[in-house]
Amino acid sequence: MSEQRFATTLLIPGGLWLLLCFAVPLGLVLAASFGSTDDLGNTIYGWHPDNYRQAFDPLFVPVLLRSVGYALATVALCLLIGYPVAYYIARYGGRWKHMLIALVVLPFFVNYLVRTYAWVAMLADEGLVNGAITNLGIRDSGIKFLNTDFAVIGGLVYGYLAFMILPIYAAIDRMDQALVEAGKDLYGTPWNTFRHVTWPATFQGVLAGAVLVFLPAVGDFISAQLLGGPGTYMVGNLIQQQFLGADNWPFGAALTTLLMAFLSVWMVLYLRSAARASRETAL
Amino acid sequence: MLNEKIDRRDLLLAGAGLALAGCGVGNSGGGSKKETEKVVKAKVDGDLVYFNWSEYLDPALIKKFEKQYGVKVRQSNFDSMSSMMAKLRSGNRYDVIFPDQSFAPKLIAANQLLKIDKSKLKNYDNVWKFFHDPAYDPGAEHTVPYGLYATGVIWNEDKISGMKGSWADLFRTDAKGKIYMLDDFQECLGMANLRHGFDLSTVDPDEIEQSKQMLIDQKPLLRGYSTDDIQNMINGNAWIHHGWNGDVVNLRNQVKNPESYRFEKCKEGIPVGSDTMAIPANAEHPGTALLFIDFMLDPENASQNVAYFGYPMAVTGAEAAFAKIAKDDPAVAITVDDVKNGQQFANLTGKDKALWDRAWTEVKAA
Repeated sequence: MSEQRFATTLLIPGGLWLLLCFAVPLGLVLAASFGSTDDLGNTIYGWHPDNYRQAFDPLFVPVLLRSVGYALATVALCLLIGYPVAYYIARYGGRWKHMLIALVVLPFFVNYLVRTYAWVAMLADEGLVNGAITNLGIRDSGIKFLNTDFAVIGGLVYGYLAFMILPIYAAIDRMDQALVEAGKDLYGTPWNTFRHVTWPATFQGVLAGAVLVFLPAVGDFISAQLLGGPGTYMVGNLIQQQFLGADNWPFGAALTTLLMAFLSVWMVLYLRSAARASRETAL
Repeated sequence: MLNEKIDRRDLLLAGAGLALAGCGVGNSGGGSKKETEKVVKAKVDGDLVYFNWSEYLDPALIKKFEKQYGVKVRQSNFDSMSSMMAKLRSGNRYDVIFPDQSFAPKLIAANQLLKIDKSKLKNYDNVWKFFHDPAYDPGAEHTVPYGLYATGVIWNEDKISGMKGSWADLFRTDAKGKIYMLDDFQECLGMANLRHGFDLSTVDPDEIEQSKQMLIDQKPLLRGYSTDDIQNMINGNAWIHHGWNGDVVNLRNQVKNPESYRFEKCKEGIPVGSDTMAIPANAEHPGTALLFIDFMLDPENASQNVAYFGYPMAVTGAEAAFAKIAKDDPAVAITVDDVKNGQQFANLTGKDKALWDRAWTEVKAA
């Protein structure tokens, strides 16, 4: 067997996996998005482009804008929190480096949904945190944490922070320390060295983190469902409602397809930027 | 060019269709009549896969059933009729489910519920006569009645007083941010219909439009939509909750100041209804399910359950348990006459169901 054929054989398990668990479900969603429903809410496959017409109803524009707004705020906060954490671990982690990275990943051992429920118990009006606030006499009445925009964004940041830290950590770790020393040798202040040396050298990591956080955050429904209120409805909630609340899988599938198309645009832009960056480093 | 595009899409569809056929998904669209007429013995044939609302059956009774029959009860919960339907639709198999009187007919029509041979139930004679032939299931062929319920308003008197016995109480500006509505398309649109003086289950597009608008206008006052009225009241997030009569009894059992939690039936009219126990046609352990249903019809068990969840059960011998609850608080009382004469959610189908679903989606998205 030639080396090439051997390599091709290695692709088979992964290829089958992608076919069964990605291509087939995607095909089902696409097929359902052109379907209609019977009285039980079962999908009848057919040709009903109406689902897409309905999805472009101006009614849903604020929902999409809200989702993008929450996701952008999430990316910004994750970057603000994540960059210093990644920087510290990569530069000063020393022999604790791997341990610290493991700690960043540790919360993922528990399901996102369960962790979000924990926030509900802690932040309820008469929950643990507000109980402590009133018992310690800090305030007479508790603070309304839950069912606000902030709670939803907080939940998203909490849920996706690791996706920001890991690629930035990798970028900083990979960066040649000598570059920073060179910056200092040229009388660069710490800020100027960061701005002109470290930041550009790790920017691709930041971009990767931003995309990894943005994409799932736009489509998230758990945070808005559990921590949000009546005014925090996101695209994910709209889709979830079609599947679980409104007995309308075809419309939900059409919304899903459009959301995926929308997110693909961002993915393609990112991939092109990453490709350009790697070409530039190669030169 | 256009033709070519459509051809390509059709090709894609055909491919997806093939994939579908290959996986055997999407075959839940109604079984055959024969499937529902399987002969089942009331004998343990495996662990019970149980699917119900949360906190809607005394957990002590589950333990008792497990011990008595040497089986495990594998429990899962739904939080609305729609989500129960979604789980069934996606092919999940359960042994006992609890559809209400507006969804049971859908399942029956689609041959999704097993016929229950009443001669296999030792305690069936305890079931109140009215429910031997209810409108939602003629001849009670596929269902056995469970709890009777009414929808109204639950509030915490420590936090807010001066309630008026009207749906307008769910629109109080002095409780802004402390009001919850049930996360259920029928309950919400039904409430708005009643407040407008429309029929509970109206399918007039103009009336639904007005009710939709009422719910949208109400949103700034709301803390959220949730069917978890018990926990929302207990954790203090809710002062006023669109909720069910029995849940206030259930929640009183869980707090130190039960007298603070009140329930009112609204003068514009209230939805009433009854839940049922049923066995899906594709149940893997229908024998154990029959035993479980029979177990719940036992007067002693039914009484214990009523005391726990706060709803009357249509079981002779369990009346005293509910009478005791209703004596303490007549507001939570509901009788078979209420169910007979009251307004019940209709089984919406086709265009009418789509009209309600669409309005509800618009309320949520607004």
